[in-house]
Amino acid sequence: MRSLGATVSIFIQLLLNGLLLGGAYAIVSIGLTLIFGVVRVVNFAHGEFLMIGMYAVWLLAQHFGLHPYVSALLVALLLFVLGASMQRFIIQPLLSADPHIQVFATIGVSTALLNLALMVFGADVRKADVVFGTESLMVGPLTLVSGQLITFVVALVVAAGMHLFLQRTYTGRAFRALAQNRMAAALMGVNVNSTYVLAFGIGAGLVGLASGLLAVQYPVFPTVGQYFVLTAFVIVVLGGMGSLPGAVIGSLFIGLIDSLAGFYIGPDLKEVVYFLIFLAILIVRPTGLFGLGRGSE
Amino acid sequence: MIKNLKRISAVLGCMTVIAITPAKAQDIKLGALFPFSGGLALLGDESYRGVKIAVDERNAAGGINGKKIVLIKADAVDANQAVGEARRLTSVEGVTAIFGSFASGVSSAATQVTELAGVPYFELGAVADTITGRGLKYVFRSNSTAKNFADRSIESIIKVVAPTLKVDPKTLKLAIIYEDGPYGTLVGGFQKEEAKRLGLTVVESQAYSGKSVDLSSLVLRVKSAGADIVLQTSYQNDTLLFFRQSATAGYKPRAFIGAGGGYSLNDIAQTLGAAIEGVYDVDFPQITMNAAGAPGLKEFVAAYQKQFGIQPRSGHSLVNYVGAKAFLDILAKANSTDKDKIRQTVLAYRQPVGSNAAAWGFHFGENGQNQLASTNLMQWQHGKLVTVYPESVASAKPIVGN
Repeated sequence: MRSLGATVSIFIQLLLNGLLLGGAYAIVSIGLTLIFGVVRVVNFAHGEFLMIGMYAVWLLAQHFGLHPYVSALLVALLLFVLGASMQRFIIQPLLSADPHIQVFATIGVSTALLNLALMVFGADVRKADVVFGTESLMVGPLTLVSGQLITFVVALVVAAGMHLFLQRTYTGRAFRALAQNRMAAALMGVNVNSTYVLAFGIGAGLVGLASGLLAVQYPVFPTVGQYFVLTAFVIVVLGGMGSLPGAVIGSLFIGLIDSLAGFYIGPDLKEVVYFLIFLAILIVRPTGLFGLGRGSE
Repeated sequence: MIKNLKRISAVLGCMTVIAITPAKAQDIKLGALFPFSGGLALLGDESYRGVKIAVDERNAAGGINGKKIVLIKADAVDANQAVGEARRLTSVEGVTAIFGSFASGVSSAATQVTELAGVPYFELGAVADTITGRGLKYVFRSNSTAKNFADRSIESIIKVVAPTLKVDPKTLKLAIIYEDGPYGTLVGGFQKEEAKRLGLTVVESQAYSGKSVDLSSLVLRVKSAGADIVLQTSYQNDTLLFFRQSATAGYKPRAFIGAGGGYSLNDIAQTLGAAIEGVYDVDFPQITMNAAGAPGLKEFVAAYQKQFGIQPRSGHSLVNYVGAKAFLDILAKANSTDKDKIRQTVLAYRQPVGSNAAAWGFHFGENGQNQLASTNLMQWQHGKLVTVYPESVASAKPIVGN
């Protein structure tokens, strides 16, 4: 039998692991919830954006010796351009079509990017060779990896910054107006097309930032995005589509469940546990924890 | 639009037929059904290269009873495509037999089609036991199966790992962890059975999602169960994740034993660096094994290098080569394209263990499975995967990992 002390320290370690994993989910989910909430497009290519970002980070590390934390900013710019172009040239022409068509378009982009990566890079696993961000830190009996802590802090700072941006600036208000009602926002003088392009670009840019942070911990391979993005979709719906606080709290929540259920119930059942909780929450609050309510589009 | 598409695909279809089948009436056409694109393409292609070398070798020596062999490639990335391509090979191309297919999902689907069409299917690399366990009459497999991987890994604990650690195997606590897809579940399940049969102590056995981005809770479970030996059946990402998170949690088992997949790959070894030293791995025979126990191995490597300009990228080309070579031999002996004649010849075919480049033998059971194919125990030593067991093909002595 384990001693009480050991049991407590395992429990605290699990809580810590869960919160840190939540940080990784949060940084991926913030951009997704923005696109989901403002442009009202379910971007199935989000995971592939993450994958492309991670390849870019890896290439910059291999060829120019840039640390992923430095290249994160460059890659965020690159993905801003990629996201904005996707909105401008793929989603915008379909804006007045049936919403399903936009979903199929993003699935198309996702499949194309995935297979492009398979062609260019092959199915091998690649990892940027870095030291800073991979050190283990010991705090009493607890252990954690420095990069996880950095990701966690950056996720919170970015979420808070985006929240302020949405609440305090004209552009942010335009984003929120579009989220509530596209027609009314257009009548109030919001330029729908360019605001959508900007929102999609920022959402994709945020995933570029995420790729720099995650590339320190995780290797990159063509399907890496799909590992994160299914959970990110759950988080975004759970937190309420378009809600930043919802995305952060949803991420931490899922991270904690993942960690605790993985230990006390079993790693093969942890997804069952969090999908059950997810369903239960949706039944009680169909718009998610911090959803805009039934009035929104 | 749809009309156009149809026209284009018809034209493309004709072009491929023209491009890849310069076959004459007296040639023997054989299908080669592998995943040539998509995520499995790398090892699918590596498998095909083995078949190609075997066919080239045979053609250079006069083909099958004077007839030239023409290989017809078919690309099957998944079960759906496997069905389509198997239909094309059997009905349009009219092949005598089909070689395949590296992936178990592809093989299971394709063999359903070929069995109905009455075309023999020679499986050279897929490991799911069910492929030859479904009572199909014209499906034959040269390579070892998941059960063989599992049994060899458990046997290795008793024969190699425990003696190297200088302990009684019964005192070692095992953790069996595996990804929850067909591959992990099969191997992990057989490992549990075999460990129980041999009286070893399993303190933890756990499936997990291979797509998981965090295995820290699994690491904590295995660690708090006090496991000395971790047997992991995994792909690339989950192998890395488990290693990294074990190191973070300060967990050091006395040995890791992988079952192919992520554990055999150079990329993984490079990424893990010093942490891979001493890690065991059970897999198909590799080209680095001792050639003294595997006649023809050196010649195979030389032929590969001559044709492709590099060293074989994994053991898949080797086992496909050995299997294809045996089946070509069988086709020559059968001297007929009749499926029942071929089956008879397969079942009567014998080669003693250690008589070919994979150090295998051949003796097919009623179910079409070769019973003399095996897997070897390997270990990462100084950044290289060396064979340590069985002794006949061992290229190094096992060491204690760090």
